Amino acid sequence: MTLDTDDTMLLEINFKSGLPVYLQIVEQVKAAAASGKLRPGDPLPGIRSLAEELRVNRNTVAKAYTELESEGVIETAAGRGCFVKDGASPLKKDARNKALGELIDAAIVQAHHYQVGEEELLKLFRQRLDAFAERKQANEKPE
Amino acid sequence: MNTDPAIAITGLVRRYGKHDAVNGLDLTVRPGRCYGLFGRNGAGKTTTIKCLLNLLRPDAGSVRVFGLDPERDEVAVKSRLAYVPDQVAFHPWMTVRETLDYLASFRAHWNRKAEAELLGQFRLDATKKTGALSKGQRTQLALVAAISAEPELLVLDEPTSGLDPIVRREFIQTVIGAYQEADPARRTVFVSTHLITEFEGLIDEFTIVDAGRAMLTLEADAARSRYQRIRARFGGTPPELKLPGVLRTRVTGREVEFIANGASAAILEQLRALKPDELVTEALTLEEIFMVTLQ
Repeated sequence: MTLDTDDTMLLEINFKSGLPVYLQIVEQVKAAAASGKLRPGDPLPGIRSLAEELRVNRNTVAKAYTELESEGVIETAAGRGCFVKDGASPLKKDARNKALGELIDAAIVQAHHYQVGEEELLKLFRQRLDAFAERKQANEKPE
Repeated sequence: MNTDPAIAITGLVRRYGKHDAVNGLDLTVRPGRCYGLFGRNGAGKTTTIKCLLNLLRPDAGSVRVFGLDPERDEVAVKSRLAYVPDQVAFHPWMTVRETLDYLASFRAHWNRKAEAELLGQFRLDATKKTGALSKGQRTQLALVAAISAEPELLVLDEPTSGLDPIVRREFIQTVIGAYQEADPARRTVFVSTHLITEFEGLIDEFTIVDAGRAMLTLEADAARSRYQRIRARFGGTPPELKLPGVLRTRVTGREVEFIANGASAAILEQLRALKPDELVTEALTLEEIFMVTLQ
């Protein structure tokens, strides 16, 4: 599957989210790659065509692709565009765990404010993991 | 590589008689950006642009384009930019083809391929006399000419005001995309408009002008993360609140709506302590930020 031949758009920009537009692209491509919607070797749309499709500036798409490349999610083949890279993160294990830990901490802080208890949070975490696995499995079925 | 800003305006003043059209404007446009100059009609947008092009001389302050003075180095500046005014006029007896050839004769570079592509995209008939074109088609022709010259700086004054609302957005996306594609790090767009919605995703950075002064200059992403609408719904009548950084408060029944400028986190924290039934935040659009800034 690729990003631009699918009937339903894989990427969607929401200007009201307050999140920088390039980061929205980065996060959505990462999510698609993690869930198997995008597989290693799949091409990403060209910068200009994606910019036109999403109605954003090409600088924004270029910035997102640069970020995705530096995080090791995609790679650029000279003259052929960008492709989803094979799994391996360029980060060392310590760095990966630290980055993930910070995200989990943020969720724990938020759970405290929402007065969601430890048990409930763990249950929710489990539910989300299951839902993710389910989506991934659905994407892996032969078409 | 040349790192001069594409445009640098410092303390610009330009009067018409006793009326200050531009009154101490500052702004800087870095190369490769798509920069918006937002303001109501009469805010000083066109006067500012005319000073960039040496169509008007500043009464005070300085204007630099690629580090050059448009008055002293007029030819050098004009050969590196293309300008599409809000009112476009061509020789009405010339065809579209003749007009483009005529305009190309003033230019060192002319990209025939880009010209043909854009003519096709806009479905402009090259054999038609420009006098028979609609206002929107004349704007399209002016844009084809501006882009075919492949300038480093594209200056657009209210480029969409003459266009059909349905084609506007598509059209401006195509034009700016086609223009910046070939050399994105250097090709700069400076666009003045009061129709901000259609530029929402295209603008990297903007200045809101009013009465000839800059009211707000920000990157678009930073603006959207700073200006937020916060809605809280309570079980009963909302409590009286005194919150920092709130531009506007509106109470409707059990719901309160705040427009926040930069202090969303602090406001949310205070609201959460009051245990609302619902608490939602969303970013303002650039157009809403424009309206909040000018009220």
